[in-house]
Amino acid sequence: MRTLLVVGLALAGLVTHAHAYPQYQVSRDATCTGCHVSPAGGGILNENGLAVSESTAQWSGGSSAFLHGAIPPPDWLQLGGDVRAAAGLVGIRELSAAAYPMQAEVYASAGGRGFTLNVAGGLRSPQEGGSATHVLWSREHYAMWQSGGPYGVFVRVGRFMPVYGLRLAEHAIYTERYGGLPLYGEAYGAAIEYVTREFEVHATGFIHDSIADAVEHGDGGALYAEARLGEHAAIGVEGKYSASSDLHSTYAGATGKLYLAGPELLLQAEAELVHDEVVAGGTANKLLGYLLATHPVADGWLVDLGVGHYTENTAVAGLYRDALDMNLHWFATSHNELLLTTRLELLDHGTGPVGGYALIQLHYRL
Amino acid sequence: MLLPIAAALLAVATVACGTTPDDRPATFEYITLEVLAPSCGTVACHSTTTKTEGYAFDTLDAARASLRRLVAPGQPDGSLINDVLTSSRKRMPPDAPLADEDIALIQKWITAGAQGL
Repeated sequence: MRTLLVVGLALAGLVTHAHAYPQYQVSRDATCTGCHVSPAGGGILNENGLAVSESTAQWSGGSSAFLHGAIPPPDWLQLGGDVRAAAGLVGIRELSAAAYPMQAEVYASAGGRGFTLNVAGGLRSPQEGGSATHVLWSREHYAMWQSGGPYGVFVRVGRFMPVYGLRLAEHAIYTERYGGLPLYGEAYGAAIEYVTREFEVHATGFIHDSIADAVEHGDGGALYAEARLGEHAAIGVEGKYSASSDLHSTYAGATGKLYLAGPELLLQAEAELVHDEVVAGGTANKLLGYLLATHPVADGWLVDLGVGHYTENTAVAGLYRDALDMNLHWFATSHNELLLTTRLELLDHGTGPVGGYALIQLHYRL
Repeated sequence: MLLPIAAALLAVATVACGTTPDDRPATFEYITLEVLAPSCGTVACHSTTTKTEGYAFDTLDAARASLRRLVAPGQPDGSLINDVLTSSRKRMPPDAPLADEDIALIQKWITAGAQGL
């Protein structure tokens, strides 16, 4: 049982908090703000997002609103939340069972006339030997001003995730796990963001959270810009710099998105270079890439095929790994998702150790 | 626009998968920040956030405290971390095992006395 718990905790970072479904962008709504309150995506759905969640589910009916509309909030308040748990097998040659909680968070956005206060809070994994209060926390809390509607200028100040690169819900993809968008990489900062149907730009300056055992240990900035090329394509560039007393990291990369209407195929790709300077001595140049193809196989069903590459250090022969991912999403209703996520990972073209997992994830949107 | 990105990635991967000997510094700081933190110290695993099994590797201070329990200086074969990383059963990390080159770097550091702990 203890082994199960350990493995479960070890894997809890694979696919944690939600950024909804970037698989819908380009093919349906051009930007994250088409469906979400936040310009970064994730969290509370706006009216269009609620409608999309209803239209993409296999079984419609009922209300897609918060708590199925049982507690209608006042006009100045928007609410949301996500609960997730997963179970499955990890490893390839030696399988281990895993079962674990992942996320239990509530979101709130309060205000009006373009000015809102936004909070995402709930439970996180307990700290071994830590206090019970560690479990309760707020991942995001920030003030936001927007010039109006889903498009225009956004200014955010507080604790949030800097916008950077592809922002998929599957946090195990290499460009997130080893790149500039780590799970729980939120930091305190200020961002100015401009979102239109044709292009969007996000610029963030941040300092690390020295109180809440943060993942981001450095101070720095992030930039992401994306331009639409026609109705069903987009290309983006990304950059980030983070410096702590121990490590200076520089990230740069590009993204591309292309929706092929004929075969109903959405392609998303990201390539990223990372340069690390260890203050005590030594450097590392890393190369990361990910290509994800998404296809709706039936009403309420999506299948993803992904290929990832991660060169840990370009100066060392054989120090790289490749992943083949397959995800099957079933959106039973606008509030429920069942996800099968699998990975086969090969090191040094399969001459090294082999990794992987197969997990079932249950997701309930409040 | 995906094709150029994929082509660039492939090209860089082809030429960048180095052929030189591994001359990375076998130091506590480098191993922690470039090997253990990204592979073992992710937020839900052995990070200061969760400290699974009481171990954390995402900061130098946390890694130093953890490695003192896992390393026998000068004796890689007698170090628990070596067993955990190379075991054929319950090898860590369970989903994404360390590359042989990384394990060799850790063994080299331990053999040299595990300076920095």
